[in-house]
Parts: sequence; C-alpha cells; structure tokens
Amino acid sequence: MSLNPEHVTTRDSCFARRDARWRLAAFVLAIVGVALLRQIGPASVALGFALLLAITGRVPGNWLRARLGLLLLALIPFLVLLPFTVERGEPLWEWRSIAITDAGLIVAGTLAMKTVALVTLALTLLATAPLHVTLCAASKLGAPKLIVQLVLLTYRYVFVLLEELGRLRVALRVRGFRNATSLHAFHTIGQVTGTLLVRGSDRAERVSHAMRCRGFDGHFRTLTRFQSTPADVLMFLLIVGATSGLVAWDVRE
Amino acid sequence: MIDLRELRYSYPDGRIALDGVTFSVAAGESVGLIGPNGAGKTTLFLCLSGVFRPKLGCVNIAGLDPADAAKRRQLPTKVGVVFQNSDDQLFSSTVAEDVAFGPLNLGLPADQVRQRVADSLGQVGMIGQDERVPFQLSGGEKRRAAIAGVLAMRPEVLLLDEPSMFLDPRGRRELIRLINGLPGTKLIASHDLALVRDTCSRVIVMDAGRVVIEGPTELMKDAALMEKHGLETPFV
Repeated sequence: MSLNPEHVTTRDSCFARRDARWRLAAFVLAIVGVALLRQIGPASVALGFALLLAITGRVPGNWLRARLGLLLLALIPFLVLLPFTVERGEPLWEWRSIAITDAGLIVAGTLAMKTVALVTLALTLLATAPLHVTLCAASKLGAPKLIVQLVLLTYRYVFVLLEELGRLRVALRVRGFRNATSLHAFHTIGQVTGTLLVRGSDRAERVSHAMRCRGFDGHFRTLTRFQSTPADVLMFLLIVGATSGLVAWDVRE
Repeated sequence: MIDLRELRYSYPDGRIALDGVTFSVAAGESVGLIGPNGAGKTTLFLCLSGVFRPKLGCVNIAGLDPADAAKRRQLPTKVGVVFQNSDDQLFSSTVAEDVAFGPLNLGLPADQVRQRVADSLGQVGMIGQDERVPFQLSGGEKRRAAIAGVLAMRPEVLLLDEPSMFLDPRGRRELIRLINGLPGTKLIASHDLALVRDTCSRVIVMDAGRVVIEGPTELMKDAALMEKHGLETPFV
C-alpha cells in the first residue's frame, strides 16, 4: 500500500502512443459507464475489462497493487457492514435480530468490484502518459483552465511540501518528540501544520514573483501538441463501445 | 544599463527596505551586490524586475522604467531574475516545459520556442535533460535549469539572487564557470564573497537598505569594512 504521490514513469504501450485527448475522453466515459453499473454480473466483467486495459497499457504491477491495496483497506468497513444492512433477500445466517442476506453480499461484491474497476481505469489513464500531458489534454477538451493550472502546480509542489514535512519531523525527533495521544503531542502537530501552511503561503508568493518575472499574464501555455490518427479513434470506439455494452447489459438485467 | 536614483521602498507594515539607493551599472558589466541579511538585496531585485513598485526614486533598467505599466510589461524580455531558491522558479512538470514557460508567454511560435529551449539547455550544459521532472534534479541541476529558463528569454540584464545558495563545492565551481560564460550585464547579490570575487569586476556594498560603498572587488580586502557590514573578506 502506498500514499506516495510520485507519478509512475510512463512505459511505451498502445495507450501511451495514442493522442492524449482521445485516451482521456475514452477513459473518462468508461469511468462514468462503470460508475453507473448496479448489477454484479456487469460489474465483474467491468473489473476484468479494467484489468485487461491496465495490462494492455503496461501499467507497472507493483505501482498498481500498492494503490489498489490502499483502496481495499479503505473499503473494508463498507464490505463488512453491507451484508448486515441490506434487509431484502434470503438470510444466509441469523443470530437474534442480526442477519447476513444474500442480497447484502451481492451489494458488497458489486461495490468492491465497481470501485476496484473505477480506480484501475483511473490509474491506467494516469500511468499511460505524463500528468502534464493528460492535464493539457483535459484543457483542450474544455476542462476549466484554472483547475488544470491548480492541479499542475499542486502536483509540482506537493513534493516540496512533503520534503519540508520530512525535515520538520526529523527536527522534532532529534529534540525528543514522539507521537503520542497527549495534549503536548496534539499541540506540537498543530504547530507543525501551521508552520507548513505559512511556509506554503510564503512559497506561493515567491513562485508568483518568479512567474511574473518571466512574463506570466494569467494564461498557461504549453509546448504539448496533439494530433489525431485513425488508431486513436479506433481505441476510443473500442473502449466506449465495450463500456456501452456493459451499461446496456446492466439496464436489461 | 542599470541606473537607480534615490530609490525608496517600504514594506506594507511600514518597515523601510530600501532607503535612497543610488548606483549605476554599465552595459556588459558584472557587478556584485553584497551585504548582510536584511540589507535589501532581494527587495531591490524585485523592484528592478517590476514585481515591487517603489514609492520614490527613479529606475531605468535596459532602457525601461518599471514605474510605467507599459514598460513594466516589457521587462521580462529584457531583465531575467534567478531567484535564491530554484524550487520557487521551477514550477512546471518537466525541465523543457519550464524553460519554455517564458518564451511561450512572449507569444513566440512553437518552433522558435523549441529552439530557444534547446539553446538554453545547451548553454547551461543540460542537453538531453528536457523530460526530467524538476523535483528529481539535484541542487546544482535545479540551479542550471532555473538559469536556462531565464536565458531562454534572451535578457539583456541578468539579476542573480544568492546563486550559490544550497550548492555543494562542485556545483558552486560549475556555477562560477557558467556565470563567467554568460553574456550581458550581470548583477549578482550574494553572501558568497568568493563567488563575487571570481565573477565580478566591481562590488556594491549594501546595509540597512542603503548603498554603503562601491568600488572594485579589491574593496573586499578591507576586513574591517567587511566585518562592519556583517561580511567576511574572501581574500586570505
């Protein structure tokens, strides 16, 4: 499992070679389609489809597993509680007023498969192109430029802030601080958070100065250029077609 | 090339940062701006680059007056600033995107921008590093990438603020070679007086927002003067 925000190095693959705009549009539509699924059959096929796309896109296995592991950890409370909370269906196990129903198990299974499929699709999208190319494609497809700029700058500076946090933690440890559930510990953590915010704010001001000194006028420009080919359209149609098929199957059930 | 007359600047809280700064730098000259912390060196650079607006005094830099809004917009094409901390300056996702940031803001065509990126990275010895991510660069590489980003604007005047900060001795030696090879007028603010000695022909000593004295770099041999203004002579 990992919370490391570091972006994966893009490997050459059939997706990496495609125009980022078509790839982004196809994956976003696939994510929306999978999010709409409500039946376990289509959800399980969607999971298989997402994993197939991840393999085709040569997403590094360790990188993907670390993130899916974290996701599954976050899902555990829902997966454990759902079988007890859905009242329709046949009870499979009962004790006084507590019962596990088959419908509850199906809902939990559907939720797990849908969520893993969604995150796998999103990670495949992120892993098959550098982030700035994907964000540039989003901008070309009409995403608000301000949001795109904010995401780019946040991504760039999250590492600097993490480094600063690391230095602060070392500084605390060498002065004998240990994490504990005491008022002193909470007070210290609050101060560290405040220090990080102040340093972040100072840095934002300095970055703004540096940008203005290089002629920034509020509009981000980029060298990234896109060019569509028939293969891009084919990839788009295949992914969107498969997702549409899953949604149609789900609606018919 | 740089001409300041009685420049005064106060921070919003009223503290005086620059108190009647007057000096000139001729075209092609490389001048060291030295002084202790809080002397006003960085503030002066921000005034020269049009980021801060001085209350009083006259500034003329590369033929432009930063007080004039129209002229201020032209400043990035003539004046390049290399900041103390390169992380503040490298805000793009890749080195190439960062170096291209300035030329793209000038509205240059993509081919010309790519050429400038290649030329600037060549000038700082970073050919082939275009797609590297800034946060993965070493301190010395970050500094060189930041300088490349400024050189891509083809400025007539370079303002370098503490250029040797965070650099190890090897990075510092490379930086000195790089600075000495850069064209144009250079104003270098630094505590690193050995770097100033090796890159500049003249120094201006600042303290408490004022110019104390200016003269040839040999001025830094005066240990008493250096000590009086929180500095140490680099001549041993």
